[in-house]
Amino acid sequence: MYTPPPTSLPLFGPLPNLGHCQGPNTLLARAGRTGLARDLRVGCRLPLHLSKEWLIWVAAVQLFMGQPASADGISTTSAQETPEALVVLAAASLQDVLPVVARAWREVTGVPIRFSFAATSVLAPQIFRGAPADVFISADEVWMQWLEERGGVDGLSVRPVATNQLVFVVPTGTADPPGDSRSLAGADLAQIALAAEDTPAGRYARAALERVGAWTAVEPRVIRGGSVRGTLEWVARGESDGGIVYRTDALAEERVTVAFAFGDDDDPIPTYPGAVTARTEQPEAAGAFLDFVSGAEAMALFAASGFGPAGDGTGVAQVPSLASPALDPWSAVRLSLIVAFSAVLLGLVPAVAVGWLLARRDFPGKSFVSMLVMAPLVVPPVVTGFLLLTVLGRESALGGLLAAMGFPIPFTLLGATLAALVVGFPLYVMAIRAVFDTVDRRFEEVSWTLGVPKLPTFRRIALPLALPGIAAGAVLAFARSLGEFGATVVLAGNMEGQTRTIALAVYSLLESPSGQGATWTLVIASVMLSLVALLGFERLTRWQRRRIEDHHGGR
Amino acid sequence: MVDGKGARVDAGGSPVGAVAWGLHARVRVPLDAIDLDVDWRPGSDHVAILGPSGSGKSTLLRALAGLEPRAEGRVSLGDETWLDSDSGVNMPTWERRVGWVPQDTLLFPHLSLRENLAYAGSGPAEVEKMAESLFLSDLLDRRPRFLSGGERQRVALGRALLSAPRVLLLDEPFSALDRPLRSEVAAMVRAFARDNGTPIVLVSHDEHDAELLADERWMLVAGNLTADGA
Repeated sequence: MYTPPPTSLPLFGPLPNLGHCQGPNTLLARAGRTGLARDLRVGCRLPLHLSKEWLIWVAAVQLFMGQPASADGISTTSAQETPEALVVLAAASLQDVLPVVARAWREVTGVPIRFSFAATSVLAPQIFRGAPADVFISADEVWMQWLEERGGVDGLSVRPVATNQLVFVVPTGTADPPGDSRSLAGADLAQIALAAEDTPAGRYARAALERVGAWTAVEPRVIRGGSVRGTLEWVARGESDGGIVYRTDALAEERVTVAFAFGDDDDPIPTYPGAVTARTEQPEAAGAFLDFVSGAEAMALFAASGFGPAGDGTGVAQVPSLASPALDPWSAVRLSLIVAFSAVLLGLVPAVAVGWLLARRDFPGKSFVSMLVMAPLVVPPVVTGFLLLTVLGRESALGGLLAAMGFPIPFTLLGATLAALVVGFPLYVMAIRAVFDTVDRRFEEVSWTLGVPKLPTFRRIALPLALPGIAAGAVLAFARSLGEFGATVVLAGNMEGQTRTIALAVYSLLESPSGQGATWTLVIASVMLSLVALLGFERLTRWQRRRIEDHHGGR
Repeated sequence: MVDGKGARVDAGGSPVGAVAWGLHARVRVPLDAIDLDVDWRPGSDHVAILGPSGSGKSTLLRALAGLEPRAEGRVSLGDETWLDSDSGVNMPTWERRVGWVPQDTLLFPHLSLRENLAYAGSGPAEVEKMAESLFLSDLLDRRPRFLSGGERQRVALGRALLSAPRVLLLDEPFSALDRPLRSEVAAMVRAFARDNGTPIVLVSHDEHDAELLADERWMLVAGNLTADGA
C-alpha cells in the first residue's frame, strides 16, 4: 500500500528547517506544565530554532557515525551507571510528558532513558536506516505500520501508548464560537487553520470533518500550516478565526480557547503507538519500558498533561490513511519560479537604492541600517517569518491597512513573495553595494564636469557600470528565494498552488510515508535551478571583474 | 600681478585673444598630507601650475571644478561666483562647465570612443571633426580598453573640448604623447582656446608642456602657490 521503497528517501536526517518539532514553535512561550517537566526539559527548551536544528544535525551525524542517537542536550540522564541506557526515539509532541514518565520509570528500575525527539516522519526513516534505538513512539499509526512492514520494529510489540484528542480552538475572547463539528460548515469563520495535510494532525482533522459531512463546506476556508504548533500560533494571533489542533497543545496556550472537542465515537482517535525496534540489543528492557509507558502509573502522568488513556489495547482506532493528496510537483516548481522572479523584481529598486546608499553615502545610523538589512541573513528564517507575521498580520496596523487596500499578506502568494524577498534581500544588497564600491566614482565626476547633473549621470554612468553586479545580486536573491522555507511557512503557510513552493512541497512529501516518489522530481528540479542560478552568478561576477580590469589595466 | 588680492580691471597681458578672464580662487582644502592653501588671481588667460607630485596640483583643479567637498573659500570666474563658503554658495559642478581632463583620462569604459566624445551632447558631425583634428578618426568605434595611453589622452581632451567648456582644466594632458604629436595637439588646443575665448589652467610637472600652452607659470609647493619668475 505504501508503494515507494524507503531507499528513495533522498536525505538522511532532516533538511535544514525540517526539524519539525521546532519550526516556529520554539518561539512560543510555553508554560511548563509541571515543575518536574520543566526540570527535565533542558535540551528542548533551547530558545532558538538554530539551536534545535543544530541538535538535530548532531543527532544525524551521530547516526552516521554509528553512535547513540540522542543529542546530549536532550538526554535526561547521563549513562555513567551500570544499567545501560535505553534509547527512545519519540514524536515531538511527547517531549514534555515522556521525560516525566522516564523519571518515574527510573525510580523503579534504575535504568536511564535517553531521548531523541523529532517529527515522526523524521524518526521513522532514521530507524529504518539503522539508528541504534531501542524504543520508538510514533505520533501516527501510518508511520508505525510503514516501519513494521519493513521490519524496522518488532510487530508483536506494537501497542498504543497514549491518545490525544483533536479540538477546535478559537482566539480567546471570540464571541459565540461554534459548538460542535457539524456547525463548522455554517459557522461564520473566514479562515480555519489546519496542519499540513501530510502530518498526522492534518490527516485526522480532515477525516473528522469528512465524517460529519462538513469538509466540503469548510475546505475553501482552510489555510494549511506546517506543524500543529504553527497552526496553533496562527489562531493564537488571530490570523485565523479558528483551527484544529491537539488538545495537549491547546491546553498550553492561553491565547486560544477550546470551542469543542472532536470526540464522537466514530471519530478517529489520534493514537501514539509504541514499539520495540528490531535492532535493539536489550529487547527485555525495551519491552519492560513499553509496558511501563502504557501502564497505569504512566497513564496518570499522561493524563496530567492532557493525553488520553491508551485504550484497551484490543484494537487501535484505525487512522484514515488518506493517500497523500495528489501533489503536483510542477505546480510547486512553477510557483517557486513565480515567487522568485516576483521577489527579484519587487526588490530591484530598493536593493539598488540601499546598495548605493551604503556604498556611497555616510549618514547617521548607517551601520544600523546596514545591520537591519543584513539581519535576515543570520536570523533564522522562521524568526524572520514570525516577525513579518507580527508586522504584516491581519491584526497589525500595517497588515490591516494592506488587507483593506486589497493586498492581504498572510497565506497569500504576495506573502510568499515578500518572505522570499526579505530573506534574499541581504544578498541582493551585498552584491550591489560591492559593485558600487568598486566602480570608480570619478567617472561620475567627469560626467558632471561635462554638464550632466547627478541623476542623469547615475543613469548613464553608474548604473551601466554597476549592471553586472546588480544582475549578480538579482541572481543571488533569486537563488535564495528558491530555497526559502522557514519564513514562508510561517508567513504564508503551505497551500498547494498558492504558497507551496519547491521547498515546502518537499517538506510535505517527506512528511508522508507514501510521498517519496514525487520528491525526487522536486529535489532534482531544485538542485538544477539552484546550480543554474549560481552558474549565472559566476558568469556575471567574471563580467564585472573584466570591466574593472579594463579600466585599471590601461593607461 | 602676483598679488592675488589686488583689484584688477582687465585681464591684461594675454597675447592670445582678449579675454576678461578674472579667475579668482581663494581656496583652502584640508588634505591628509598637506593643506592646499591658495590665494590666486592669475594675470593671463593661460596659466601653468608646476610642482612636484603631492604638492596639491590635482586637488587645486578638483577644487576649481567643484569636486572637492572640503574646499572652503571663494572661487569666481568673471562676475560669477562658483564658491563662497561665507554665504553658502557652491555652484554644482555640472553648472560650472569646466573642461576637466584628468590625469588618468577616465574614459567611460562602457562607451565607444564616439559615444565618449558625444557624451556632452555633440552631434555626429562635431564628433567627426574633433576626432579628425585629434587623429582619432579610425578609432571611433572602439572601446577605450583597446586604445594606447596617448590615444586615450586625446579622447579625454576631445571629450572636454566638445562640452563647450568655459575654462579648461588640464591635468598632465600630454604625458603619454610623443614630442611632435604633443606640439600638434597643443597647437590645436590653443587654437580652440583662442576661437572660443576659453582660458586654460594646465597642471604639469613638465616645463615643456607649460611652454607649449601657458603664458604664465606658477609653482605649487607643499600646498602653497607662488609666482614662478620664468
